[in-house]
Amino acid sequence: MIDEETLAQMNGKYVCPPDAGPAWRAAMEYGFDMSLIEASLKLTPEQRLAEHQQAIDFMIELQESGKTHGAE
Amino acid sequence: MAQNDQALLMRLKDSGLEFVVIGGLCVVYHGVPVATFDLDICCPFGEENVRKIESAVKDLNPVHRLTANKLPLAETRGSFKDLKNVYLQTDLGKLDCLSEVSGLGNYEQVLQQSILHTMSFGQFRMLNLDALIAAKSAAGRQKDLDAVRLLQAVKERKAQQKELF
Repeated sequence: MIDEETLAQMNGKYVCPPDAGPAWRAAMEYGFDMSLIEASLKLTPEQRLAEHQQAIDFMIELQESGKTHGAE
Repeated sequence: MAQNDQALLMRLKDSGLEFVVIGGLCVVYHGVPVATFDLDICCPFGEENVRKIESAVKDLNPVHRLTANKLPLAETRGSFKDLKNVYLQTDLGKLDCLSEVSGLGNYEQVLQQSILHTMSFGQFRMLNLDALIAAKSAAGRQKDLDAVRLLQAVKERKAQQKELF
């Protein structure tokens, strides 16, 4: 049986680390997806750059593909 | 148009140019996943240094990307000594080289606020977290201020984790 809290998390509710400080909470309340920052902080700096390169490559490919297929 | 920051960084290093990575890539480096479509560096200027930049990208069809006619870099050698910044489009992407960073100062001052990081493809200097926050705060655009909020959260989190371990 899945409890309500877990269900909410499955639906995208972010659980702030209990020891999160004021800057972290402020960013979260401002609307940033802090789960992305948490995930990024688990990587090494080089892994972050590699992931960024992959994302950029994909976005550029998508952009080029959109041009080819007449996206506005 | 491609944007291969790693290849550009390796070429700049091989050219012998001294530089510090600034801008969006530095934001990513410190743990905030933003999308950035150019490589920004701060470096000393003067004719010799601009020649080093040129040597790093000369086979990549570099042009001054902000000039109306996209002037080829090679055709502007006569002005190298007068340049304070270079904004290039190359076959490996956009490369912006600045002599100063708002909120930090000139190259020497930027250098003092950088950290040397060893990666599998070489050693590179990146702005330290406090300097990056200062630079982004000084830049003041909405996207920079958004990055500042997240960088401050990262700084706080890293300090907490240092206390824990």
